[in-house]
Amino acid sequence: MPLDTARIHEVPDDLLAAIDYCYEQGWTDGLPVVPPVVARVEAMLAYEGRPPETIICTHPATTLELSVHAAAVNAVMAGCLPEYFPVIVAAFEAMNEPGFNFHGSTASTGGSAPLLIVSGQYADDIGMNADVNLFGPGNRANATIGRATRLILRNVFQMIPGISDKSTQGNPGKYSFCIAERARGNPWPLLVQEQDYPEGVSSVTCFAGGGFFNVENHGGSTPEQVLGSVADAMANYGCITLGQSVVILSPEHMGIIAGAGWSRRDAQEFLFRHARRPVEGMKSVGKYRDSEYAKQHGPEAHTLIEAGYIHRGHRPEDILITMGGGDAGGHSCFIPSWSRARSSLMQHKPIGVCIDCD
Amino acid sequence: MQLYDPTSSGPERLLNRAPVLPSLDGKTIGVLHNGKLNAEAMLSEIAALFAERHGCNILPVYAKANASAPAPAETLAQAAADVDFLITGLGD
Repeated sequence: MPLDTARIHEVPDDLLAAIDYCYEQGWTDGLPVVPPVVARVEAMLAYEGRPPETIICTHPATTLELSVHAAAVNAVMAGCLPEYFPVIVAAFEAMNEPGFNFHGSTASTGGSAPLLIVSGQYADDIGMNADVNLFGPGNRANATIGRATRLILRNVFQMIPGISDKSTQGNPGKYSFCIAERARGNPWPLLVQEQDYPEGVSSVTCFAGGGFFNVENHGGSTPEQVLGSVADAMANYGCITLGQSVVILSPEHMGIIAGAGWSRRDAQEFLFRHARRPVEGMKSVGKYRDSEYAKQHGPEAHTLIEAGYIHRGHRPEDILITMGGGDAGGHSCFIPSWSRARSSLMQHKPIGVCIDCD
Repeated sequence: MQLYDPTSSGPERLLNRAPVLPSLDGKTIGVLHNGKLNAEAMLSEIAALFAERHGCNILPVYAKANASAPAPAETLAQAAADVDFLITGLGD
């Protein structure tokens, strides 16, 4: 909206009272927010070249719209610095793609949270963490960009728990779920390079993450052993679906895999081949459906699909793999996509630049 | 201190309820099946109750390709042209 028509709340010049006022309005995620004072919002807007009324994302079911201005207000509340703002804008432009299924992934009982993975130089430029305690607290950029995502979902798109957000249990990532891809020591091309953006561009990938599985393996010393334990996590009966996957390999595990000469593609194919369950096993837990088997084993089935099995995903490219975390520890992780089917597909956008725009 | 409002800044939405039908007797029902595991069985049973109690006609199911996405506009437009009322539900 134009700044001269933006809604303003006049509150006393008392910071603590303003924080309480934000609580009273129902604007928070349960934690205190930075009161969105005009000056801070305008500083945030200075990092976006388009007018503040520009719409960057629309909720397909309710038609509620996210303007650049509303995004900036919520970014201030989350505690973002202005230089973080282009990541938030790009993330919602990615989530606005129909394939992300913005409505379903934010409303569903499945309780997913948008996982943001920032790839490229911009992550370093704004001081993001790609290293030790990757998914944990302590880094302002990671924490507040993820938090701004949640506040926008709550305040702009009105995804209110119990009303429009029907998550049965939710997940801790619904407070904040944002990481940087680790470039330092990464033997594989960065995600942004695989996404074919021009050199110097950074990207954010958005994925409707349904949870977090730690994959511990300190004994494995070959790619097959390490990835075998990852594949087992991906195929557990509690979460195997036809959906996509994110795998963040620890540097130790990556050293074993890439050190043996394996490429990202090799790892994707290994995981796709092994993250599977037999039809009889799926039936034993009541999760087998003829229609899903038919989708996976139809005329366009991937050559690695094996008869008599349900694999996780439809093809190796459904598995995003990269590196993150601290140097020490045999701890990687697997994050399943939301939905039993393929109702949300990961999307990515460049940060702070417009490529092939009208 | 001046605070910007962080809630939706979109235009006012036009949300109207459809007018209530004066009677259900003999009306034509559409069934919008969302693809969930038990949706077809549940919705068919509900439609059968309308047929039994009110003599309604049941049209073939309109299927959504994606249970959690809004129904395509053309599906709803076709249903609106074909039926007097539509029933739907999750059937999870």
